[in-house]
Amino acid sequence: MPAEFIHILIALAVVAASVGALGLVMVWVERKVAGHIQRRPGPFEVGPNGLLQPFCDALKLVGKQLFMPNGADPILFWLAPVLSFLPVLVLFLPLPLGDGIMAQNMNLGLLLILAFSGLSVLALLLGGWASNNKYGLLGAARGVAQSVAYEIPLLLAVLAVSFQAGSLNLAEVVKGQGTWPWQWNIMTQPLAFLIYLVSALGETNRAPFDLPEAESELTAGFHTEYSGMGFGLFFLAEYANMAVVCAVATVLFLGGWHGPILPGPLWFVLKVSLLLLLMVFLRWTYPRVRFDQLLNINWKWLLPLAVANLLLTAFFVKFAQYVVVK
Amino acid sequence: MEHMAKIAFGLYTLIILGGSILAVGSASLVRAMVGLIATLLGVAGMYMLLNAQFMALMQILIYVGAVCVLIFFAIMLTRADGKGEEAESAPVRKNVLALLAVLVPGSILAWLVMTKPQPTTGIPVEVAIEKLGLGLLGPYALAFELISVVLLISMAGAVLLAWERRGGK
Repeated sequence: MPAEFIHILIALAVVAASVGALGLVMVWVERKVAGHIQRRPGPFEVGPNGLLQPFCDALKLVGKQLFMPNGADPILFWLAPVLSFLPVLVLFLPLPLGDGIMAQNMNLGLLLILAFSGLSVLALLLGGWASNNKYGLLGAARGVAQSVAYEIPLLLAVLAVSFQAGSLNLAEVVKGQGTWPWQWNIMTQPLAFLIYLVSALGETNRAPFDLPEAESELTAGFHTEYSGMGFGLFFLAEYANMAVVCAVATVLFLGGWHGPILPGPLWFVLKVSLLLLLMVFLRWTYPRVRFDQLLNINWKWLLPLAVANLLLTAFFVKFAQYVVVK
Repeated sequence: MEHMAKIAFGLYTLIILGGSILAVGSASLVRAMVGLIATLLGVAGMYMLLNAQFMALMQILIYVGAVCVLIFFAIMLTRADGKGEEAESAPVRKNVLALLAVLVPGSILAWLVMTKPQPTTGIPVEVAIEKLGLGLLGPYALAFELISVVLLISMAGAVLLAWERRGGK
């Protein structure tokens, strides 16, 4: 067996383990933040400050019986959670944690992440449709409209940065930025950063854009009928997708592993954690938007702004090249 | 590596064949779409074997991530379960014609490939994305634009089919 094959297998195993750990930490952080924002302590009983609560939750999920509703499509029903979780493992491969520290150095790393993150939408649709449940179907219908809409400004914002960096290789994009915050891409592309952040919230179905699983309207939306680890996989995939989105934002806009004094990987993890914390804060601070508002924000604001930003970026990049050649 | 490539080729062929049989044979429209997705993913794998990574990822991004999601949107507006009004299988004559439509061009192509083999470069070389872009806007611009006519034709075909149905009822 060739060495590259074994290399990828080891990387996938490491990624799977870290996604599990990430899920545990994020559940605790989310519940703690939610608690404190609502003036209550959050999980408190199991372990110091409720630190062991996520382990109990995980054990409960693993131990629960798996149910399938009558009239559901058995193959598609069980395919959906697996399909939502598997592509996530691939998404972590091209992310550079530090200078030369990455699972797989790819020239098209950014494209790989964009391509495979589209598969999770498909899993959401299949799960919602195969459940044979009106709430599931409504959640899936919302998921389609939302993901198709928000993918476009996301791609355009990412494209503007890769125009500027001249590469789709994530490590190259980071190398084009400097140590200090004013040398990062966010200084030259602030609008793209904002567009990226908003559409990333839409793509990961996080509040205030969590319409596909809006609890007060659709019970649990597309995963209403899933119990035990069927639900657990959707849940893990959501947190892993959040981490990927934040890591890509760090790489593209916040200088990746660059930073003064501290070692590179630490800076990377620090920036990703701060962005994750921001997403959690947003969820518990803002109310959910209505569906027409959600689509209006995208088609009337994000999309025109993203196109204008891309055109301006292309113009300035060409202009700079022209001046340099002259 | 040679053996691995052959194994991968066989695996992708199986995925493509299995997926396409599911896509045409399944009574449930959503299952048919899952078959189509498997086929598209298998084709992406074939592109990977040719070292055309950009093509493979674009295949996944556009066909699996966007086109199939839109197809799903259309399916949700129909009665897509196995007992829907359009679920019964087509008459034998149509099935035979469909089989012929696959076999005739397929065998002609296969015969051409077998009798007049193209010179191959052996190990596929990865083309840098800059070269790809320059090529599409430079020497291959006409071919690139002509391909987009395919979309126009398929749209016109869809409209034509819809009109014919409405006239028949």
